[in-house]
Amino acid sequence: MTLQVLPRGKWLGARVKRVEDPRFLTGEAKYLADIVLPGTVHVAFVRSPYGHARIKSIDTSAAKTMPGVLAVFTADDVTALPPLASGLPVEGLQPTPQPVLAKDKVRFVGEAIAAVVAESRYLAEDAAEQVVVDYEPLPAVVDAERAMHPDAPILHEELGTNIVYQKTTTLGDIEGAFAQADRVFRRRLHTNRFVAAPMETRGCLSVYERASGHLTFYSSTQMPHMLRLFLALFLGIPEHKVRVISPEVGGGFGQKMTIYPEEVVVAYLGKVLGRPVKWVEDRRENLAAATHAKEQIIELEAAVRNDGTILGLKARLIGDAGAYSFNTASALIEPLAGAGLMPGVYDIQHYQHEVIAVCTNKAPVGAFRAVGWTAAQTARELFFDEIARELGLDPAELRRRNVIPPERFPYTTCTGMVYDSGTYRESLERALELVGYEELRRRQAELRQQGRYLGVGISLYVEPTAWGSEIALQAGFPFPSHDNATVTIDPSGKVRVAVSVHSHGQGHETTLAQVAAEILGVSIEDVVVEHGDTDRAPWGMGTYASRSAVIGGGMVALAAQEVREKVLRAASRLLEVAPEDLDIQDGTVFVKGAPDRSLSMFQVAFAAYLDNRTRAEGEEPLLSATKFYDPRATYSNGCIVTVCEVDIETGLVQLDKVVAVEDCGTMLNPMIVEGQVMGAIAQGIGGALYEEMAYDESGQLMTDTFVNYLLPSATEVPPLTIEHLESPSPVTIGGIKGIGEGGLLATPASVAGAVLDALAPFDARIERLPLTPERIVEALRSSESR
Amino acid sequence: MATVPITLTVNGQAVRAEVEPRVTLADFLRDELGLTGTKLGCEHGVCGACTVLVDGAAVRSCLILAVQAEGADVLTIEGLAGDGLHPVQEAFWEHHGLQCGFCTPGMVLTAYALLQERPSPSEEEIREALAGNLCRCTGYQNIVVAVRAAAEKLAGAR
Ligand code: FES
Ligand code: FES
Repeated sequence: MTLQVLPRGKWLGARVKRVEDPRFLTGEAKYLADIVLPGTVHVAFVRSPYGHARIKSIDTSAAKTMPGVLAVFTADDVTALPPLASGLPVEGLQPTPQPVLAKDKVRFVGEAIAAVVAESRYLAEDAAEQVVVDYEPLPAVVDAERAMHPDAPILHEELGTNIVYQKTTTLGDIEGAFAQADRVFRRRLHTNRFVAAPMETRGCLSVYERASGHLTFYSSTQMPHMLRLFLALFLGIPEHKVRVISPEVGGGFGQKMTIYPEEVVVAYLGKVLGRPVKWVEDRRENLAAATHAKEQIIELEAAVRNDGTILGLKARLIGDAGAYSFNTASALIEPLAGAGLMPGVYDIQHYQHEVIAVCTNKAPVGAFRAVGWTAAQTARELFFDEIARELGLDPAELRRRNVIPPERFPYTTCTGMVYDSGTYRESLERALELVGYEELRRRQAELRQQGRYLGVGISLYVEPTAWGSEIALQAGFPFPSHDNATVTIDPSGKVRVAVSVHSHGQGHETTLAQVAAEILGVSIEDVVVEHGDTDRAPWGMGTYASRSAVIGGGMVALAAQEVREKVLRAASRLLEVAPEDLDIQDGTVFVKGAPDRSLSMFQVAFAAYLDNRTRAEGEEPLLSATKFYDPRATYSNGCIVTVCEVDIETGLVQLDKVVAVEDCGTMLNPMIVEGQVMGAIAQGIGGALYEEMAYDESGQLMTDTFVNYLLPSATEVPPLTIEHLESPSPVTIGGIKGIGEGGLLATPASVAGAVLDALAPFDARIERLPLTPERIVEALRSSESR
Repeated sequence: MATVPITLTVNGQAVRAEVEPRVTLADFLRDELGLTGTKLGCEHGVCGACTVLVDGAAVRSCLILAVQAEGADVLTIEGLAGDGLHPVQEAFWEHHGLQCGFCTPGMVLTAYALLQERPSPSEEEIREALAGNLCRCTGYQNIVVAVRAAAEKLAGAR
């Protein structure tokens, strides 16, 4: 790898305002719902109102005669479409393919049964109400542990069980560690099922040209090329005749990196009906049927010395997969990823984990920012707090005693992750200093005398980033991945950067332009970044798992560097000096030490394309390079500390502040880094205190609107303090590490830890999140009666 | 379905149209007038993405019907500034008050309505005023900073 260090001048590392913003601020930006094509017809899906039922019959005759209706499709009309199955074979994971429209049986509320196509969405919804489905309700199971019981209702009868994966792995000498322990502690935590809830819901628009057999598919997706591949395979359209366009995307957070049944159905409808077919999900559908996330039941057992040293750890992680495991082994992403990162920043070499994935009558799970890791981090950090309390140690001190010290990098965890570099201890100390930790502890003691309960929660974390092949392997998902960038200088000297990574709020049009501008020596105004359209962007995996700064930044740097060399070669012939004697600044190529011997980028580019004298024999005229990058694994880190006060009468939690110290290596744009961290912290606050997808025993979804599924608003998020540490990665281009997920990985543990710290005098035990006022009051009540 | 004639002003222009009584103001603005800057995030009155100004007051356009806007003066994000950006929009830009941009039109109009009424709000008042607009990307802090900065900009311009 070259480019270990990137130049840092005017652009790289600066707080550059986002070039994409004006179109969002003025309402000109076009999201999926805003795209209007002549002749478009609209889809409404008929969805299951039952968590578990047999479909006895479907009568679409009345719906078909409703005004404006073109077609009503059920499973019988889409037999050409294969069910969605895991695209990632993992040994031991039972397949649970999901039909794109339910056939014979429904397994969760919101599962799509029929697609109604009409001239307007209003008419489609009218007709959807007239589709008559005769159900035979079946007993449902909504709790993963209950679903493991032999008597539980079974979702996929052919398997004979709801357990789709179960495996125990032992690392190091776990029995030895427990034999040496002074104390053994146990804790259980059932983390809440919560959802990405991007403000823009899902949606797609299928446009099929019969004469050419060409499909253009617009979708609010995070991974256009993957979607193109799978649509081609599912629909039997040659891939070169499929174009996927992801327009502006109003947030994804992982939810839009799944290939959904609705997308396949809508694509197919477009092909069959020969009219543009559009589906825009409504919020109820999004809450019921887009992927859910983060629910695990985790049991931990630790072998501990009296001085607080953690000698060994046992973990049992049960992932509540919901009704189907599809796409990338979705049943496993929570518990398997959680198991891999359970040791976190701590030096734990003896570790045993049991990973279990179970189907329940709930929506399938998918990725959501820090998938698997949020639950593991929350369980482990709350457990460590409890161990510290039991040992009479300060929770900060317990962490100090176990954290991996700086001299141990690169550090290989017992689970096979190679931590390249970081500031684990430093971030802890700095966060404590920023929050005024010692003073807070004094104040906490004082306030307790007055019957007021202040709490401080510490969450110290490491975050796998740069999702390429190596880190995927280290995290337990051996899925190769790589991405490309094409950097081109046009004949007029302007720069076009086409990338496979996708932006849905991350600001790539700015950060990746910063990289190109810095290396090419031009102004950011002379650079445009293109993404999201498979006809314009080179092949790649799209955006997820904090990969785009590292991979996108790296591949753009490599391609820009090659184009820079071409520019210098062309200019050297024009100026008759060696390329090494030239430099580029502010769009001017000049002789070092003699700046008046210079050419503008326009002059060089124009000549490179149109004046053969700029080229040696066999050289290509194009000022363009396409570069691929599959980075080595790199890990970001940080520490989040929350201060809160709990009213023990009402159970209400008042957050005073959240302090985050993060280290994502070299920063492309600190303003954008802070934005990522703050947004993820707010989601973490939601996850700790408010958000929960609730089902009743019959499998009914109780939280199908924003009235009962509560997102934090501006009044729930307290002032946030963000500070950066910068330990450049020794293994990635420019030392860049990713930043997307740490905030959501670590905040729930920090917030919940603060609440439980406030309640410490009461020995209140809480095994379920979020920490709603009811749960807090209930825990206080049961601690009184103990 | 039968339609009803309505007349109203949208972004300073007189509009006459025939609408079905059940069509919401949001759908009318988006589908009939092509003003797609008004976003739909929930269609049940919680997220605020659909906020527009009706006779100067911030209103959730998914909750009212187009026919209820008869005679009203409606301002959408497209009408806030002529060429260029309004100071509120500028402040959002300068302070990174948006990421995916989906909540942004509603946020900007809510902030604009607040500053019309209260030219120099406290942080608490800003947060209260924004509490009906959900943003899943930013964590709100930069939006609050932007609104305060916009207040100062507007005060400076007076
Ligand atoms: S779309 Fe109107 S409030 Fe959400
Ligand atoms: S910027 Fe994405 S929802 Fe606010």
